[in-house]
Amino acid sequence: MKEIRNLTALQLAEKIKRREISVAEGVLASLEQINSAESRINSYVTLDEEGALEQAARIQKQIDSGELTGPLAGVPAAIKDNLCTEGMRTTCSSKILANFVPPYTAEAVRNLKKAGAVILGKTNMDEFAMGSTTETSAFGITRNPWNLNHVPGGSSGGSCAAVAAGECFFALGSDTGGSIRQPASFCGVTGLKPTYGTVSRYGLVAYGSSLDQIGPVAKDVSDCAAVLEAIASYDRKDSTSLNREDTDFAAALKDDVRGMKIGIPRDYLGEGLESEVKSAVLTAAQALEKKGAYVEEFDLSLAEYAIPAYYVIACAEASSNLARFDGVKYGYRSKEYEGLHQMYKKSRSEGFGPEVKRRIMLGSFVLSSGYYDAYYLKALRTKALIKQAFDRAFEKYDIILGPAAPTTAPEIGKSLQDPLKMYLGDIYTVSVNLAGLPAMTLPCGLDAKGLPIGLQLIGDCFQEKKILQAAYAYEQTREWKSCPALEEQGTEGFEKERAMKIASEQEAGA
Amino acid sequence: MEQIKQRSNGNVISDETIEYVGILAKLELSPEEKERAKKDMEEMLDYIDKLNELDTAGIEPMSHVFSVNNVFREDTVTNGDDRDNMLKNAPEAKDGSYQVPKTVE
Amino acid sequence: MSKEYEMVIGLEVHVELATKTKIFCGCSTAFGGAPNTHTCPVCTGMPGSLPVLNRQVVEYAMAVGLAAHCSITRHCKFDRKNYFYPDNPQNYQISQLYLPICRNGGVEIETSAGKKTVRIHEIHMEEDAGKLIHDEWGDCSLVDYNRSGVPLIEIVSEPDMRSAEEVIAYLEKLRMMIQYLGASDCKLNEGSMRADVNLSVRELGAKEFGTRTEMKNLNSFKAIARAIENEKNRQIDLLEDGEKVVQETRRWDDLKEYSYAMRSKEDAQDYRYFPEPDLVPLVISQEWVEEVKSRQPEFQEEKMERYKKEYGLPEYDARILTGSKYLADFFEDAVKLCKKPKKVSNWLMGETMRLLKEREMEPDDIHFSPENLARLIDLTEEGSINGTVAKEVFEKIFDEDIDPVSYVEKQGLKTVNDAEELRTTIAQVIQDNPQSVADYRNGKEKAIGFLVGQTMKAMKGKANPGMVNQILKELL
Repeated sequence: MKEIRNLTALQLAEKIKRREISVAEGVLASLEQINSAESRINSYVTLDEEGALEQAARIQKQIDSGELTGPLAGVPAAIKDNLCTEGMRTTCSSKILANFVPPYTAEAVRNLKKAGAVILGKTNMDEFAMGSTTETSAFGITRNPWNLNHVPGGSSGGSCAAVAAGECFFALGSDTGGSIRQPASFCGVTGLKPTYGTVSRYGLVAYGSSLDQIGPVAKDVSDCAAVLEAIASYDRKDSTSLNREDTDFAAALKDDVRGMKIGIPRDYLGEGLESEVKSAVLTAAQALEKKGAYVEEFDLSLAEYAIPAYYVIACAEASSNLARFDGVKYGYRSKEYEGLHQMYKKSRSEGFGPEVKRRIMLGSFVLSSGYYDAYYLKALRTKALIKQAFDRAFEKYDIILGPAAPTTAPEIGKSLQDPLKMYLGDIYTVSVNLAGLPAMTLPCGLDAKGLPIGLQLIGDCFQEKKILQAAYAYEQTREWKSCPALEEQGTEGFEKERAMKIASEQEAGA
Repeated sequence: MEQIKQRSNGNVISDETIEYVGILAKLELSPEEKERAKKDMEEMLDYIDKLNELDTAGIEPMSHVFSVNNVFREDTVTNGDDRDNMLKNAPEAKDGSYQVPKTVE
Repeated sequence: MSKEYEMVIGLEVHVELATKTKIFCGCSTAFGGAPNTHTCPVCTGMPGSLPVLNRQVVEYAMAVGLAAHCSITRHCKFDRKNYFYPDNPQNYQISQLYLPICRNGGVEIETSAGKKTVRIHEIHMEEDAGKLIHDEWGDCSLVDYNRSGVPLIEIVSEPDMRSAEEVIAYLEKLRMMIQYLGASDCKLNEGSMRADVNLSVRELGAKEFGTRTEMKNLNSFKAIARAIENEKNRQIDLLEDGEKVVQETRRWDDLKEYSYAMRSKEDAQDYRYFPEPDLVPLVISQEWVEEVKSRQPEFQEEKMERYKKEYGLPEYDARILTGSKYLADFFEDAVKLCKKPKKVSNWLMGETMRLLKEREMEPDDIHFSPENLARLIDLTEEGSINGTVAKEVFEKIFDEDIDPVSYVEKQGLKTVNDAEELRTTIAQVIQDNPQSVADYRNGKEKAIGFLVGQTMKAMKGKANPGMVNQILKELL
């Protein structure tokens, strides 16, 4: 089972296709790992063992009959719990949706099912995707498989931890201000946030509608490209969906960066960046330079304004998007109340956690009469300036390279006391969402504590292929190819030494 | 004392404001939560005020990042009666409807 | 001496558009379905659902705007209006605040005070809310989202009206225009047209506006007139007593004939509008505007002129017939079938209007078919029935939409054209009325009328009056 677990999604699908492994065996490998690791990691909010095996049987038949031939057919996957799944509860890791069973399936998940993926269950997240640590979940924190005392990042922490721990072969996450890229970076996996509009948002429970995008979390760049190819689609149910013809992302996987112009924003290397992270990122840049890329530092500007602009826009939209959770149509309703308004207030106050309330309050305030211009419009103007700054940068560079986060994964319990400080950790990721750009993170080393460091590659809009190509080329130079999975069950505490050991094993194998 | 000093140049959120925002957001905060919310909001607003350093005169507010326009559906009925499916998550339902506390006196 | 006051009135008119589907989803807009049977994740505000704009809504909104001489906003957007209420499943309404689709128009109205133009500030598109049904006995309300997401346009006038009469004239003008466009049936009693009245009073001749109130829940023209009168007096009373009018939204109770403030400390009336991120902007090209323009129908004025010219109808008749799109369509359909415009007009202007009045109905409530009226006209024209019978049959048509051909057949109402049968009956009448016969013979021409009447009576009204006259003269 361990051999199966350590395969990438594409490798597993290939072996299934060649009848070396059955779909059920792949599913069982994941389930076995889940059974052994979940008590420590808690990646999943909802697990559907029975359903997964049923799907496996059905998909096996479709593969056998030649009906399913895609590169992900038969591969077990996990879905972030803010993507609606018909018949399977979708909680957004919130008490307010603890019993919500959607009557429909998100378009991205439907696309995955069409590609033959087996859905294992729903992964934990920061409540309503608001957070950077997966500690705001109403279903318990998720731990970082590399070191259980550390957070996996967030908000797609469950998806990233599940992939890192071998509890699935890939997962879907969502990224509003870095929610795929930052936890992928903390968990040593590869995650991609596509150009806004590339993956349909239909069925994604909205946080900041103008910023949200669904994307893959995978073991390596090739898997990432394959999953993105499967989920990207033009969807008439999402008015902001784009009709793209260049979604053959796997075609971009060429080990060739000769002549590619790569810019590193000086603003991304300044104060607050941990030196270990900085040196790992710069080392990765050198590796690309060695392969023939042209790398230089430049001033992107405005980086420090992205966070305030982001929090104004995201919280404003969230305050409106989350208004629908009121105890009328679905979800939690307070047990005791007198009259309509008290029902609203009590249901919402009891149903939402503190971070969600904090953002709803801020969002309601910045939109309220007398403040709209000063805060909301100012933020939208800043957004326009940030987009312009990126436009200028992409006139010169094919891709922008930098860190995904200023630090590696913080310890559990250290982030939430000071929300503002936690928000500052989003400095390298949020501007990408404001400008609608594609960006990915992939591991580029470990710090002294044995925690993964993430490299972020940002492309101009619609240029996923360029960042995939650079990422793929970099991956070929990396000493270890794919992320290490948790060891066999019964391991008491998954400590950094073990992670390091696996990393070096893989290194040796490479 | 230190708290007050820190706030002397920043945003001050009054009890009334927190109360008002609570009405807008339909959130009921305990006295402790209110104090915390005031402090959090003051800090965030102080930080957000950083945007005032930027000269955005003449910059059009950007609500949509791409210039995609005119996405329509045609006027044809595509949905049938799916009431039971819609209602099955309702905390309280009656006679095929969502039940709420009486909205009129 | 008490001061003289004048009212300043502006209207916000909501009109439900006659699309087949809702504004943002493919659910039917059909009226009268069982609760929540026309709902889906979008119009019940399910998490993760997204709106997609119904193209027809934009076309209707443009058509109304063009008819009301508005300019079309080339780049327009939707905004979210945030407020909590159970009939509003997302707790925000998708509407247009910053860039409404139509602006700066006006319509001309005519009242006893003469002609004037009521300016239109803007027309915007938005979604309707669901319906709340209040449990009479229990402590709950029930929400039905069948109407949630039905497309609306809101037509906002400038404060240009000064009397209830002007308000009614303005509403009638809007209704007719929109009905002509086929954009809505505009029924106040069914809620497909709703008017909120913004009203203030000021001393006659004053330049400044007074403080206004907004009156809601006005379901008929009569209610509007009553509410305006009531609110005017209420405000004047306040001012006369040295009190102030409070700017507020009031709800009219037409049964009790009074209004009350709809205030709650739980409602801040701070809608926190912001651009709807789930919809993309609307860019309306000149070509599109022209296309909609070219499809605009013949409006009342043109139609009236045509009726006068083409059918030779008098001005008065043409105005009445074109006063409702429904009536005009009915007229034209019937004319197409029987090719007798004057006869059709006579039936509509005469008997139809009489019966409508008698039964307290509006022209739009007519529920008989143009086919049956056309058949009735054919029957009279070919002499199969006489005028008296025709009126009788028409009333049946009016009430029950019966087929006059089979009805006349079944009831044996056909005119008797058999000369022999008539001759026998008339001979009997002459014999029974010697005095009248004598009068006639003595030169009292009028006496023949009595004899005709007696004959018709004997024939139970089914005789051909021309033949009766002729035979009578012959026999006398």
